[in-house]
Amino acid sequence: MILRRKTFEATVPSMAMGDIAFLLLIFIVLLARARDESHLVWQPATGTELVKPANRNASVVIDRQNVTYLNGRAIPVETLAAELESLLGDLPAGGRTVLFKVHKDVIAEFFEPAIEAVSEAGGELHHVLEPASNPASAP
Amino acid sequence: MNDIAFILIVFFLVCASVEPEDGRSQVIPRSEKNEKAEASQSTEVGLTPATVTIDGTPYRLEEFPPRIRQLLAQKKTEAGRVVVLKSQADVPYAHWIAMTEIIEQAGGIVTLLLEEEQAVHLN
Repeated sequence: MILRRKTFEATVPSMAMGDIAFLLLIFIVLLARARDESHLVWQPATGTELVKPANRNASVVIDRQNVTYLNGRAIPVETLAAELESLLGDLPAGGRTVLFKVHKDVIAEFFEPAIEAVSEAGGELHHVLEPASNPASAP
Repeated sequence: MNDIAFILIVFFLVCASVEPEDGRSQVIPRSEKNEKAEASQSTEVGLTPATVTIDGTPYRLEEFPPRIRQLLAQKKTEAGRVVVLKSQADVPYAHWIAMTEIIEQAGGIVTLLLEEEQAVHLN
């Protein structure tokens, strides 16, 4: 009696590999956008004729507790200009956009020094606002 | 099916986490330029939470847009269209952004005049 050896086929499950590759892609895209500011509480002021920023190199948030954040990290406003300078580096004009997200009730004592810091660092301010519900009543 | 469900969950999470970015761009000249602007014949706008002044003269909020438009229309040079904005410390951001929008729509170039910090020594 002759017993034949069992043969095993090793195949790569192409469908599952495709799924894994797609998940990895999404994971990397998420990491690339890792400026998580979702925990910050702020409500935008209103404005008209709003536009999307051409690019975004940094994001400054002042939340309802008057705390200043740079790219989601709390920092003292005194160091904001220096940190922005190192972030923006030698980027050309037109490519130095700083998103500026300030809670609508924050007072000038807190947001004006931040604006000054962005200006000192050569950043191009982009105030993030929400469209006025009734544009006729907006200025 | 599990894979598809997981991918759909991730997709909806990504969609939900998109932050708003629409807004208004603003060019604020650097501090050293502010000094030059102050020296020239620029317009000074003062802001308090309830009032607005132009070169020291108070205006009601509804009077402000036509008045600033009229003033800036007379300025022919870029330096003349510089508006030095002096805000009281308690002016809320929403009010500030509304007023600067009016100034910029009227053709003005906003620069800030910040209060200098002063050290006071008590004996």
